Amino acid sequence: MHALIQGIILGVLTAGVYALMASGQTLIFGIMKVVNLAQGAMVILGAYLSYQLFTSFGIDPLLAIPITTVAMFIVGVAVQLLFLRPLKSEDRSELSLLVTFAVALLLEGIMSVTWKTSVRSINTGYANSSWTVFGYQITLVRLWAFLLSIAALLVLYLLLNRTRFGRAIRATVQNPESARLLGVESSRVSALGFGLGAATAAAAGSVYGLLYPFNSGSHYDLISRLLSIVLLGGLGSIGGAVVGALIVSTSSAVVASTISPSWSEMTFFVILLLVLLIRPQGLFGTTARGAI
Amino acid sequence: MQLHNRLRTTSSLVAGLAAIALVITGCASKGGGGSTAATSGANSSPLVIGASVSLTGDFSDSGKAVQRGYQLWADTVNAKGGILGRKVQIKIVDDASSPTQVVTNYQNLINKDHVDLTFGPFSTLLTIPASQVAKRYGYAFLAPAGGGPDVFKQNLNNFFFVQPAPTTQSGDVFANWILSLSPADRPKTAAYAELDDPFSAPIAENIRTKFEAAGIQTVYKQVYPSETQDLSPVMAGIAAKHPDVIIGGTQSVDAYAQIKALVQLKYSPKFMFQSNGANSPLEYPNKVGAANTTGVMSSADWFPGSKASGSDAFTAAYTKKFGGTAQQVDDNSAEAYATGQLIEAVAAKAGKLDNATIISSLHSGSWPTVLGDLSWGANGAPTGEFNLVQWQGGKLLPVYPSGVSQAAPVFPKPNWGG
Repeated sequence: MHALIQGIILGVLTAGVYALMASGQTLIFGIMKVVNLAQGAMVILGAYLSYQLFTSFGIDPLLAIPITTVAMFIVGVAVQLLFLRPLKSEDRSELSLLVTFAVALLLEGIMSVTWKTSVRSINTGYANSSWTVFGYQITLVRLWAFLLSIAALLVLYLLLNRTRFGRAIRATVQNPESARLLGVESSRVSALGFGLGAATAAAAGSVYGLLYPFNSGSHYDLISRLLSIVLLGGLGSIGGAVVGALIVSTSSAVVASTISPSWSEMTFFVILLLVLLIRPQGLFGTTARGAI
Repeated sequence: MQLHNRLRTTSSLVAGLAAIALVITGCASKGGGGSTAATSGANSSPLVIGASVSLTGDFSDSGKAVQRGYQLWADTVNAKGGILGRKVQIKIVDDASSPTQVVTNYQNLINKDHVDLTFGPFSTLLTIPASQVAKRYGYAFLAPAGGGPDVFKQNLNNFFFVQPAPTTQSGDVFANWILSLSPADRPKTAAYAELDDPFSAPIAENIRTKFEAAGIQTVYKQVYPSETQDLSPVMAGIAAKHPDVIIGGTQSVDAYAQIKALVQLKYSPKFMFQSNGANSPLEYPNKVGAANTTGVMSSADWFPGSKASGSDAFTAAYTKKFGGTAQQVDDNSAEAYATGQLIEAVAAKAGKLDNATIISSLHSGSWPTVLGDLSWGANGAPTGEFNLVQWQGGKLLPVYPSGVSQAAPVFPKPNWGG
């Protein structure tokens, strides 16, 4: 029982980070119908950036987020302009898989050369602290990660719902042609939207680096999880990404702590399979456009 | 067109060379094993030792450490005038961590370069095919790395694993120490968290067999896949069982993650053993926080300040040549260096050096190296024991067996951060 509740606590706290990564992924899909296989690599790049800021300048990874998000926003816009925009729109969804995978490999290569392949971790003063509540341990860094992810998701929500830019994005998601007729520059929205997705990856990366050791190859494990989360939640739905992250993260933590770690990775794939059998568009996905 | 011609020329050249190589290898194998082996006495040509090492690919970090060890030994022995008057020359070729390339490399070293002796590559994966090539041509095969169970199943009499014991038995020293304690001090319950890897889980499993036979109850045992990113839930499962001792069958990253999770969960067992990771003097305190290392145990064959034969000279030469401190010496380099020491010792004792002499000499008696005195069974499995090491005051010290210990083992383990 103790292990079960502790597992739930760990899973819920970790879910925030995955929700953040997945929201960027699902946003990019919503705007451009591009499955971004480089999202994991962007998260790891974000983690390396905050690692570097921490080791070189002593900047706390959580405080480094404004810097890393801006940097990664620029990287994201550049990737969209250089690699995705030239694709012809009729075969963009198929080709973009290859292109974003190539971008992931490119980023992995750059990271291996810059930071080598040895495993890094960000050890802040509070990295191992935790609060005891009714005999259960609330890990401080996971709690921070959780709260920060919620805050970042809130910022993203406000950006999408309360700003002109957000309206342009939502309009593009719902009907790109009408949006264009009404004066929304969809190519500009696409570039900025990709940048925004990369910025969420950066924020998630800072938190990820606090929680787990990582190296340039860590993005492979990450992207398979992220894809499962967004598929589970429904491609293009940010709320779905949050719920998907919660399910994936909690189920795997609970199974690892009570049954077996060998089954934990398997569990969410089983859940994913079941959901897709019953509801092929995912939990919150719609078959029509405009799910964001 | 020009390119095409050149390609054609190259490919016919390759084919021609391959045919010649085939004829030569055919002759060599007909000629009987060890025909190219070194002889002693007046020969003043250099003693060439060939080795294929992973300088690129998955094993490149460890491979380069092995290369440093081989070269350092050669430099040291050459400074003393070489072996039996012959300068030692190490010929290293890269196998890119590939089991097919390693075979080609040793065939070339033996048949084309006619090296006098061969040393082993890095990892069991490469040592198995490589040792078979060496066997075919009657070469002694001394391997400083690659001591997985499958290597010894080959039953090759030319093979010698240059470490105190097969890798999967490296944790036995911890079990032996625990069982040497008085029944009141011994742990009553044990938890095992094991990485699914041929070198990690079996070490913990060997300890479990010994513990269960001695009546130490297993309250938790799980194997986790290598892609497991978050070990907190596993450690939460363990903490809920309150075991006296936790045995981590670990590599490196998972070893750090285990400790971090236990610290966060505020569960400190009376005894904590990790098969690997915790024996890395440099990385471990960086990754888990120096204060959390106190009391954690692991096993090692070489450690800074070891009193084994030639260890001081090795450490001094290593730090002089490659910089850093004694704590930064890679144990893969020490193992490679020990491989050279064995050759030196055989030459000194037998007064000659050829593959047959090396094989027959090493099969009898025990041989001093920087790893301690080594001896082997018929299949090349070393018959000794690793040393139990423990973190005390920020240093990794040998604590058992008493012959090599530099400090008394501390138990129960102090709380995290203590």
